[in-house]
Amino acid sequence: VTAAGLVKLPAAPAGTTRRIPAGIRLTWLHLRSRHVPAGILALAVCGGVLRAALHWHWAFNSGPYAQQIPMIIEAGAAAVIAVTAHSPFGETERATGRRLPYLRLFTAAGMCGLAIALLQLGAAGESLNGGVLVLSRNVIGITGIGLACSLVTGGLLAWTLPMGYLVFCQYALLEAWSSPWTWPVRPPADRGAWICAGAVFVAGLLLFTIRGPRARLSDDS
Amino acid sequence: MTAAGISLRPGRATARRLAGLAAAGRLLRLELKRNPVPYVLPLLAAVFYFDTVRTAAGFPPVWTLRASVIGDHMLFEFSAFAGGLAAWAGSRERRRKTLDLAATTPRPEWARLSVTLAGTLCWLLLAFLAGVAAIYIQTALQATWGGPPLWPVFVGAAGVIAVTMIGFTCGVVFPSRFTAPLLAVGVLVLYRTGLRAALSVTPLSGRYALLSPANAPPSVDAGVYYHVAPDVPITQVMFMGGIAIALLGVLGLAAALRQPASAGRRTSLRAFLARGDGWLLRPVAVILVACGVAASWTAFALAGTARPDPVGGWEIPALHSAASDQPVPVTQDCASGSGFGVCVHPAFSFYLDGVAAALDPVAAEIAGLPGAPARAEEVASESGGKTVMSGISGSPPVFEFTAEQVGNMFGQFLGIPDTAAWRAGFQQGLLDAFLAKPSQPAKGPVPAPLGAAQQAVEDALLAAAGSQPFPARGASAGVPAAAHRFAELPASARHAWLAAHLAALRAGTIKLAQLP
Repeated sequence: VTAAGLVKLPAAPAGTTRRIPAGIRLTWLHLRSRHVPAGILALAVCGGVLRAALHWHWAFNSGPYAQQIPMIIEAGAAAVIAVTAHSPFGETERATGRRLPYLRLFTAAGMCGLAIALLQLGAAGESLNGGVLVLSRNVIGITGIGLACSLVTGGLLAWTLPMGYLVFCQYALLEAWSSPWTWPVRPPADRGAWICAGAVFVAGLLLFTIRGPRARLSDDS
Repeated sequence: MTAAGISLRPGRATARRLAGLAAAGRLLRLELKRNPVPYVLPLLAAVFYFDTVRTAAGFPPVWTLRASVIGDHMLFEFSAFAGGLAAWAGSRERRRKTLDLAATTPRPEWARLSVTLAGTLCWLLLAFLAGVAAIYIQTALQATWGGPPLWPVFVGAAGVIAVTMIGFTCGVVFPSRFTAPLLAVGVLVLYRTGLRAALSVTPLSGRYALLSPANAPPSVDAGVYYHVAPDVPITQVMFMGGIAIALLGVLGLAAALRQPASAGRRTSLRAFLARGDGWLLRPVAVILVACGVAASWTAFALAGTARPDPVGGWEIPALHSAASDQPVPVTQDCASGSGFGVCVHPAFSFYLDGVAAALDPVAAEIAGLPGAPARAEEVASESGGKTVMSGISGSPPVFEFTAEQVGNMFGQFLGIPDTAAWRAGFQQGLLDAFLAKPSQPAKGPVPAPLGAAQQAVEDALLAAAGSQPFPARGASAGVPAAAHRFAELPASARHAWLAAHLAALRAGTIKLAQLP
């Protein structure tokens, strides 16, 4: 018996010779830990509901009531994105490296873009009041609210503030408020509304990227 | 066994029962302490203030109208949070990964879930009733007639319970992080779809619309001249209560439904009913599901028989009481400061002085002329299934108007956004009825327009009474000049000319140039 035999590596099993790059594997594990695949499915469901609502005329075609149901579904998509902020590992994950903020940033931004795409796909061929501009603005702005909320409530309850804002905007819609902070009420090309929605999104995304959601290993509620 | 032992048994049983109750009470207290609903109450209170309270404050203090915000606004807010928070509470054992640990406790799963459900429901109902109290106390301080209607509260409470049950059951059966937001959104979409259906309801397509608590605000004088029939609220409570009861039964079967699926083999019905939590609980759960489905189905069938009632609501023949079609006996509040009497329903007595002040100067301009009303009186806006229009009728002539419509103006008793326009609306309504041809029928809900000479005289009389006339649509160019000319005349000359030419003016044979 010689030492040469001991240091020889055993032959790799068939099918495992191609190794996945560490970055992709890390990203995939991050996405899985946040239930992003299920979140994409939930966003697709939102798109399907939007299509059904427009196709079977659950909402009015024009007037102040026309935005009600699309706005609810857009807020739902934003709430789904906010809920994917939750990490099952809690605070310990923060000690694992420097890439976590980037993963958070790209996950949230990517989900937001995907939500807009899936909702627009659901509305394709149907008459959506306000069009893709209002849809995008609502998803962007309300996602910002949800991400900011996750810093306080944790990811799992981050849907509460978007729901509160949604109810508030339903009232603003009927009362024809013109404040840019109630951006779902404003016309598609309204600059103030875009600035407000964008500012909320950027602020929420930055805070979420830097700080991360409130992390607790076990929820108290 | 001795006699002493036998005599002790009832005492032991009572003690055991009391201990069981005390344990359940302790569980509920712990649940109330740990429940997530109180943390969301500030947010719920904020949206309640912005949406419900502000909307209610915008309505005149009439009980039925103010109470309509419970179904139209308050339930929407509560649905958003009740469904989501109940789903959150329902998925707790799975979320904390304590399902197996909790299964080892001596309590059946149904009892454990019921305590969690009761805690969530207690907080939500408490918040709901506090909101109702806030609206009703505000209304009680301002209202001049009537009392708080209870059916909107029952419907709202049934709605909160049904949404909570749906959310909780979904949380137990599908314990995912996405259940709460998706359920909240689903409930809100259902609610708004119900509103859409309610706003365009017809007797043929009205089932969903009638079963949905969301609705358009009622007319201003709903529940004032006639009672609001409780037929539709009874059906709604039955429908939503049935859903809640059926889902309570489903919760009892939740563990049993999970076990066969995990076992992956066929089980007999007897074994299915007897498994796990005891032989009695499962049959009770099945009976609850059956009762709930039966109640909801009955309500669904009853809603299909609804038809419009003569006073502007809906009646369901199987539930309808003829007594609710009888007018509510009431003595009107009247004012007659300068001889012209004005009477309104006591529910609107806060408008009495304003109406009298508006009508007095115009009534003085036409006093003594043929067909001039001696007084004005508010009447019901719906009668015999038809909308009542304002006009002059009877002998001696009386100007009748409704809380909904005066002349060309609608919603006069909904509030006074612009005092001058509100005042001119009443004056114009009176003069429209006075100057129009008696046989001139109204086309649709708007009275027929006046002729050019009639319009000029009306504008002149309004100007003489100190009001700015509304620009008449399609009026000829000479009207303002003729009106100005006529208004410049002394009051006695105007009165004398009208006395001489009123019949011809009403008949439309007087031309603009003939006005002095």
